Amino acid sequence: MSDLIANLSLGFSTALSLHNVLLCLLGCFVGTLIGVLPGIGPIATIAMLLPLTFNLEPTGALILLAGIYYGAQYGGSTSAILVNIPGEATSVVTVLDGHQMARQGRAGVALGTAAIASFIAGTISTVLIAALGAPLSKLALWFGPAEYFSLMVVGLACAVVLARGSVLKAIAMILVGVLLSTIGTDLETGDERLTFGMDELADGIDFAVLAMGLFGFSEILRNLDDPEPQGDVVKGVIGRLWPSRADLKQAIGPILRGTGLGAVLGILPGNGAVLGPFASYAVEKKLARDPSRFGKGAIEGVAGPEAANNAGAQTAFIPLLTLGIPPNAVMALMVGAMTIHGIIPGPQIITKRPELFWGMVASMWIGNLALLVINLPLVGIWVRLLKVPYRLMFPAILIFCCIGIYSIGNKPSDVMFTALFGFTGYTLYKLSFEPAPLLLGFVLGRLLEEKLRQALVLSRGNFLVFLEKPISATLLAVALLVLVVALLPAVRKKSEEVSAA
Amino acid sequence: MTDSRPVAASASPAATELGAPSGDLATAAGHANASQQARGGVAEDVGAGLFLIALAGVGLWQGAELDFGSLRQIGPGMLPRVLSLAVGSCGVLLVVRSRLGAERRLARWTLRGPLFTLGGAVLFGLCVRPLGLVVAGPVAVLVSALASPETRWREVGVFAVLITLFCIALFKWLLQLPIPLCPFWLGY
Repeated sequence: MSDLIANLSLGFSTALSLHNVLLCLLGCFVGTLIGVLPGIGPIATIAMLLPLTFNLEPTGALILLAGIYYGAQYGGSTSAILVNIPGEATSVVTVLDGHQMARQGRAGVALGTAAIASFIAGTISTVLIAALGAPLSKLALWFGPAEYFSLMVVGLACAVVLARGSVLKAIAMILVGVLLSTIGTDLETGDERLTFGMDELADGIDFAVLAMGLFGFSEILRNLDDPEPQGDVVKGVIGRLWPSRADLKQAIGPILRGTGLGAVLGILPGNGAVLGPFASYAVEKKLARDPSRFGKGAIEGVAGPEAANNAGAQTAFIPLLTLGIPPNAVMALMVGAMTIHGIIPGPQIITKRPELFWGMVASMWIGNLALLVINLPLVGIWVRLLKVPYRLMFPAILIFCCIGIYSIGNKPSDVMFTALFGFTGYTLYKLSFEPAPLLLGFVLGRLLEEKLRQALVLSRGNFLVFLEKPISATLLAVALLVLVVALLPAVRKKSEEVSAA
Repeated sequence: MTDSRPVAASASPAATELGAPSGDLATAAGHANASQQARGGVAEDVGAGLFLIALAGVGLWQGAELDFGSLRQIGPGMLPRVLSLAVGSCGVLLVVRSRLGAERRLARWTLRGPLFTLGGAVLFGLCVRPLGLVVAGPVAVLVSALASPETRWREVGVFAVLITLFCIALFKWLLQLPIPLCPFWLGY
């Protein structure tokens, strides 16, 4: 217990430095901004800002990027409540009752409830991360190369399962991602692999280039193909921003239940965080005394899902910071960011760089507080921004991306490659592939190969070593189980039905 | 795992499950569905499978000379080759699977969007070194604006200038990035 307090005070002292507080605020602001705007999401933004964080020191850079991620969750709900358009995938459920509340003149209450729910969920999740962090990373003492390899296989298997759509295509994407990671100079022999004889590829594909092309550019192309539906911006009175005592009383139960659901689902690899709000809505509807209120402006329908999505966003950091396994595409970007700053993601972060881990945990709480405080007054600005037409937005996004990419290495070829990956991302979209497993495979690819090689050298070529070591064998069995569950007709039908619409 | 747009459509089955009205989300989803099933043409999974097979082919071709090595001492060529074969088999499985069952038709590809957007990016890459941000910026904005049918030219023209100035202020002055500003006139 005293350990926890000591660690948290280290964290807060790191997070409360002026530099880090400003970065946290900036991250939350930018995050809310892009969460509100429908054409652009946190993945594309983080990919865009990655090169610009090069000059920051690692803790600050990660605080900024993390702020963008959970700030976007809040921004997404603002758009959902006011404009009937979910700004982010996790805000889809908030549209149902949130917008109805806005129509009844209770937009302010809805926004306030969402903010409070997110703050409570964020606080509880921060405590969870702090509590689970140290024990989980102690597991790392047991992990040799074979166990690491198997753990990464589990992470990828879960990513396959929870990716919507075809399991086969998700597996293929992961394999392509790992294949792309082999491009470049082989570390052990110095041979150039898959470089097509091009000098520019001698160092491999730059992570930021791949991320920006696959997510940033291709998202623009997707939106141009399939324009966002025009929402109906709630005109007129937003009303008081603070929910009344009676409202709060109604909301507290859903908030706590939503936090629990979201926290558990967020840890699961494969973007389980998206499921949280849906699960919470279903639970609240079942538990309500008068279920017919749902869909017409029930406050539980906003409070529960909002708590769930914020809890999920925060606990998604747990597998990343403790085990080094990214549970979803945004966390994969974080892995990329860490690698760029020379930090090797994995359980040793907490021991070798405690100020990074605890600093991030503390700043997440600060970020939640900031979101609560600064966003409610800024609602007016968000509403005005929602009126900027996409035909102006996407050239702006494009030029930011180009400048960001060029600034990585001052190489025009980087911009060309990004355009190539942008086209690839568009192709993948048209063929119903998902780019996120590809990014996950790419990010884990180098580490996967390194651990594989090390394990085999240590075991003198004995491939069975992965099954002989107990932890590794258990993990591989889990991975197999996960894949089998994914292929079960019931599970597959549901996930394909959701993605086919 | 994907971003906001596709999931907006997937709210439809989830929402009807939850029993709530979701008028315009549902029609958006229905519209996307209809356009994919109406026309004839190449089955989507066949296209997807062929894409993977092509990728695998490139991987095998490029990795051909690399030393395969043995299990004891994995060579640089082993992983690329194994992975290419695995990707290729996924591709074959996709083609086979699509022959066996009902599947979606390949969605229509547009040329205008990708051409001008990515073209704008490419032009930026080509212009930035010799001509600097003052030229490359507006070029990127104007060329990419061609990608959208809703573009209004006077509006975009003014916007291009404003956003370039904003970027100069943000990236050159505030963040001090070493991007060429105006090499032919100012020298830096």
